[in-house]
Amino acid sequence: MEIHVKVNDKPVTWNVSPGEKLLDVLRRDGYLSVKFGCGEGDCGACTVLVDGRAMRACLLLAGQVEGRAITTVEALGTPDAPHPLQTAFVECGAVQCGYCTPGMLLAAYALLRENPKPSEEDVREALDGNLCRCTGYKKIIEAVLLAAERMGRS
Amino acid sequence: MLPNARVCLYPRDPAEAVRVMVEHGKRALVMAGGTTTAMSKDPGFDTLIDLTRMGCDRIELVGGEWRIGCNVRLHDLGVHPGIRKLWSGVLSDAARAVGSRPLRNAITLGGNVVGLFRWSDTPVALLAMDAVFDLVGPDGTRSLEADAFFARHPRQVMQAGELLAGVRIASDDPHGCGAFCKYARTEVDLAVVDVAACLQIDEQGRCSKARIAVGGTRAVPWRAEQAEKKLLGSKLTRRTIESAAATAKQEGKVLSDVRTDRDYRERMIEVIAGRTIERAAASCKERG
Ligand SMILES: Cc1cc2nc3c(=O)[nH]c(=O)nc-3n(C[C@H](O)[C@H](O)[C@H](O)COP(=O)(O)OP(=O)(O)OC[C@H]3O[C@@H](n4cnc5c(N)ncnc54)[C@H](O)[C@@H]3O)c2cc1C
Ligand code: FES
Ligand code: FES
Repeated sequence: MEIHVKVNDKPVTWNVSPGEKLLDVLRRDGYLSVKFGCGEGDCGACTVLVDGRAMRACLLLAGQVEGRAITTVEALGTPDAPHPLQTAFVECGAVQCGYCTPGMLLAAYALLRENPKPSEEDVREALDGNLCRCTGYKKIIEAVLLAAERMGRS
Repeated sequence: MLPNARVCLYPRDPAEAVRVMVEHGKRALVMAGGTTTAMSKDPGFDTLIDLTRMGCDRIELVGGEWRIGCNVRLHDLGVHPGIRKLWSGVLSDAARAVGSRPLRNAITLGGNVVGLFRWSDTPVALLAMDAVFDLVGPDGTRSLEADAFFARHPRQVMQAGELLAGVRIASDDPHGCGAFCKYARTEVDLAVVDVAACLQIDEQGRCSKARIAVGGTRAVPWRAEQAEKKLLGSKLTRRTIESAAATAKQEGKVLSDVRTDRDYRERMIEVIAGRTIERAAASCKERG
């Protein structure tokens, strides 16, 4: 079946089974920032934005995203021109193994678009579905608050 | 991954959804947010039916009642200003208690209610609020009150090809207030016990209506009716509340599971019911 979506603002037509997981389709298409962690909605490694909202790509079938706009971390920044969130993550030491990082960045990105001046509590709530086995979260939260502050200034 | 799915259908309204559900019967996987259904690997499904494009995604106040479409996502329900005031926010608090933010972005009210699990949070609030459930099926439409809807699992109550179009809740009585408490091992874990309380007090400060709904402990949420009786006519003193909570503990047929055994769960009904009634009573008193 043909599924028409936008991935990172680019119109794409997939010829896939509507019963395939969005996670698998995206990875096969080269969006390798979208990670497989638990496959059951618990960890957040597979987070993508669907029409601007953070969702689990492991709990969405391709058929469900027909006509939707999908955002992955590939859209956020490049090594030469990183997004302020990415810069803040590096500066704050919010990345260790990096497996959770794309999901964290997208959840944080969705938060800052909805609420450019989040409190620490808002950040904790927005990231409550993203597990990190390395950093202990403190630095991730600091990084999101730092990015918010810098983005508010610029 | 559904190995044999070939097409996905997008009905534009509930009547069309019922038509395609009847046409495809057991060969169709009927999906809303997908947070349970997308996990299916069943080779028997050749068709997907995506219910989320039926236009049932509004929260409206119409003629003295709130109407909430089946496709409203739990995040939107949790932050809606009107729903946060209704019965002191019992339903919005229940919606916010579900899983994590990305899950609440996906999960629909219809999916949380019809795909009921023992620990589902919003059904407990809906039962305490006397919500009415609007069903659309091959034989037309019908509405069920919460007590009837949760008498058994909704799937047993609903007929083949029937869907939940939305729920209705009478808009707040100025003397009505409530509270919802979820007890789970962590913020994002499944409920061990959920309690929702909706209370009304009269001019003399006496309780004139009480609804105590308990979830997490058996297949469907249930009302602690003996506990409600203890509260009726009382001034909601600490002693009455403690006695009602102890009664609620006696009323439940409680199950054990991997999270919690029966004995602990029973004790927690008393603790959480007491806490919930106390919070509801406090918000009644605040309102005066
Ligand atoms: C990791 C994880 C944690 C979770 N934690 C919680 C929690 O703490 N509390 C909680 O309450 N829930 C929790 N859930 C959610 C719950 O388990 C279900 O996944 C969710 O309620 C299903 O809703 P959905 O909209 O995604 O529906 P789907 O998964 O798409 O559908 C679920 C069922 O409902 C049926 N259905 C959906 N809409 C309708 C309708 N309008 N009419 C008729 N039938 C319909 C479908 O056919 C299907 O049988 C969690 C889920 C996950 C994956
Ligand atoms: S892989 Fe999707 S939440 Fe873990
Ligand atoms: S950095 Fe390793 S899981 Fe988060």
